[in-house]
Amino acid sequence: MANESVLIIGGGPAGIEAAKGIAGLGYKAILVEKRDRLGGTPDEEKYAALTPDLRDTQEALGDLMDPIKNNPLVEIHYNTLVTGSSGQLGDFKVKAIEMGKEVEFHVGAVIVATGFKHFDPGRETQKYSYYELDDVITLTDAEKMLSEHKFVRPSNGEKPKRVCFIQCVGSRDRRLGNEYCSKVCCGISSKQSIEIKKLLPDCKVYIFYIDMRMYGYWENEIYWPAQEKYNVNYIKGMATEIVKKGDKVLVKGEDTTLRRPMEVEMDVVILAVGMEPSDGTTQMADIFGLQKNKYGFIETTGGCLDTVSTNVPGVYAAGATTGPADLEDSVSAGGLAAMKALSAIRALAVPA
Amino acid sequence: MPQALDIRQNKYSDVSQEEKDRLFQECKDDERWSHILYGCYECGICVAACPSARFYDFSPRLIAQAVAREDTDLVYTLMNDSVWDCSQCFSCDRCPRGNSPGQIITVMREVAVKNGLNTAKEALEGYGRIIYKIMSTGSQVSPDMLQPNAFPDWGHHVHEIADNLEVWRKALPPETLHTIETGWKVDEKTIIELYLIWHMTGVMDLILGIDEGLHMILVDVMEERLEEAGYDIEFD
Repeated sequence: MANESVLIIGGGPAGIEAAKGIAGLGYKAILVEKRDRLGGTPDEEKYAALTPDLRDTQEALGDLMDPIKNNPLVEIHYNTLVTGSSGQLGDFKVKAIEMGKEVEFHVGAVIVATGFKHFDPGRETQKYSYYELDDVITLTDAEKMLSEHKFVRPSNGEKPKRVCFIQCVGSRDRRLGNEYCSKVCCGISSKQSIEIKKLLPDCKVYIFYIDMRMYGYWENEIYWPAQEKYNVNYIKGMATEIVKKGDKVLVKGEDTTLRRPMEVEMDVVILAVGMEPSDGTTQMADIFGLQKNKYGFIETTGGCLDTVSTNVPGVYAAGATTGPADLEDSVSAGGLAAMKALSAIRALAVPA
Repeated sequence: MPQALDIRQNKYSDVSQEEKDRLFQECKDDERWSHILYGCYECGICVAACPSARFYDFSPRLIAQAVAREDTDLVYTLMNDSVWDCSQCFSCDRCPRGNSPGQIITVMREVAVKNGLNTAKEALEGYGRIIYKIMSTGSQVSPDMLQPNAFPDWGHHVHEIADNLEVWRKALPPETLHTIETGWKVDEKTIIELYLIWHMTGVMDLILGIDEGLHMILVDVMEERLEEAGYDIEFD
């Protein structure tokens, strides 16, 4: 008799949605989370508002996780790290450390939802001076400020008059090995530019981009309003270097559509950092023997028609664990992983 | 020869920022503005459709992106050195964002004229005769303008037509075209109404701003005919 419980690793949007799906279908979900609270990266990195609808992050995450809290079919283990696994579909024994104590979970299937981490712009994009200049920050640094309903120059606490975003930092770059587009940064930059303009209507906001990737409804939900209503300046051209000039930050690049070089002084520069596999994703790939793609994300096996199955039967991957993903992708994949996991377990019980 | 448009440097750096901002604000205050400018993708679909762009260093995209970016230095340069290269055909009205670079240019030209920019005066200098014709007679091209010296490229038959103009015109079936000095018979009531419209809508003030001489001779013509028609109108 196959074990019909499903272990979900990671309590972010994909993991929460997966647990919700398992429990909603009447099966037991065991959700393990390394931190002492759910919500994943949007919570940990203190996102102010979600892209694209600008809904308050905590409120939206609260609604997402409400159905699994106090749900008798969902067992949540906080401060828990998965350390080993044995067995196969229908009979996995997964070892973990929970609050310093070794525990073991017996489950029929596993969903890995350990997500991504933000690209570190100091690592190989030194020309952007992230570690040298206080006023050069990342999208996540900006989110933290915006979640406190403020936006100031980190160097002196003053309100900035000119702010720019630089897109594709750590993405779409053969030199760095991150050849992929991180999918969400164009949208998040545009969302943040709206939030900044709402806080500081007189501040000039620029977005320097390679191409804006605002697919689907993000186009008219964030891109158009940012440009048309909030007068955000989108300039096609990448910054090659950021240096200090007096108490300002000088951004050097090319204004390609105007065919002229560009050297502009900014008060704050926001680097639109992309996604890389989280440490948890790398560790789970090793523990479960999951195939990774050349960028280190967990490879799914079904191409575009199966976004959650891995090379190991009974182990599924959801959300930004498999590559750059927005919230829509993540929760969709979480639900799909729940359905696939239960389908595989149920299939064992049906005589051939 | 049309000159190359120079946008690599701030050509009008001698003009104050306040003045450039003021002129741009005047464009933005135009009630058409919100319907002709949204945001610019800088995609170039307007340039691809633009006949002027084939012959001049002219780009409706540049106009749209400059105003969308609110780059007032560039807007000022274009208001002086570019907007007059547009043929106002509105082929550019195919923008995916719903912009109308042609109409943006219409507004920029009006602001340039209203503010008496020197470049506007220069651009319109050659059109004085046409403006005089339209505004004094109510019609533009008239048969008596068809002279061999004016249209040498039309060939020898221009002579024949010019010599016997009245006969040719009488050969046309509609009686309203049996005219030489105007394109068609302009009704007395029509021309009086046109004069009144141009007076009341401020067109005459615009003319005064760019060409005092033209304004003076138009006023002479108009005042006389309006007086005959029983209107006592004082032009500035």
